Amino acid sequence: MVDLNSYIYLSLILFMIGLFGFIFRRNLIILLACVEIMLNALIILFASISYFRKDATGYILVFFIIAMAAAEAAVGLTLAVALYKKLKKVYTEEINLFRG
Amino acid sequence: MGAQDLAFYYLGFAMILSGLFTVFSRNPVHALLSLLVLVVHQAFMLYLLGSEFLSAVQIIVYAGAVVVLFLFVVYLINLQKEARFRVFVRRFSLGLIFFILFAFLFIKYFVLIFSMSTSIRTLLPIDPTSSQALKMMARYLFTEYLFQFELIGVILLVVVLGTVFLLRKAKEERLG
Repeated sequence: MVDLNSYIYLSLILFMIGLFGFIFRRNLIILLACVEIMLNALIILFASISYFRKDATGYILVFFIIAMAAAEAAVGLTLAVALYKKLKKVYTEEINLFRG
Repeated sequence: MGAQDLAFYYLGFAMILSGLFTVFSRNPVHALLSLLVLVVHQAFMLYLLGSEFLSAVQIIVYAGAVVVLFLFVVYLINLQKEARFRVFVRRFSLGLIFFILFAFLFIKYFVLIFSMSTSIRTLLPIDPTSSQALKMMARYLFTEYLFQFELIGVILLVVVLGTVFLLRKAKEERLG
């Protein structure tokens, strides 16, 4: 039987996958994609709570999360492109402007 | 087991699998295409969760705009040479400490959500299965959450201006 807890478990697993990728991947663009996976996990969480509790707050928060995700992807990818134009690097370990 | 349970298990399994492909794939284009698979499955899951409007928004914004933007950037930055190097960072132990720390924190808060009882009062009542659900949601969006809605508009405007400003500045520095 699928209830709210199943959706929360799925959300937790997806969030952990995104967190793992965000911490351990080297590529800056995949890092931003992992942030999108984490936001998708939060979308499942809010929508399932809203569905099972018959409360519209979660749906409205999902709407705002999608808008914020679009803004975040645009700004993050712009920074990645600007960084690539300046340094010719997209790997997080090689970006060391502050090394003494 | 009903059709809805079966749909949930299929969608959840496919989402976890495509998420793992996104994290572990060596080629960025393959990773982003599996992210696209995840997003489309997520849209069907939102339909399963009673909101066809959010399902359509998910398809339009995520699959139509965000993932395509990621793919454009990957094509802009040519990574073919570096694709055969290693995928993960070298300092694995440092990352592991942070991963365990964050995982502990998030599991703690998710357990808090598990234990959230039904005693919390409903703020904005809605019936997701009725045909009036979208109307109710629009009414709440434009009354209770009107300020946040306008704020999202301002944020998107700032994002457009900031994107143009950042890339133009980088171009001038490269030329000069």
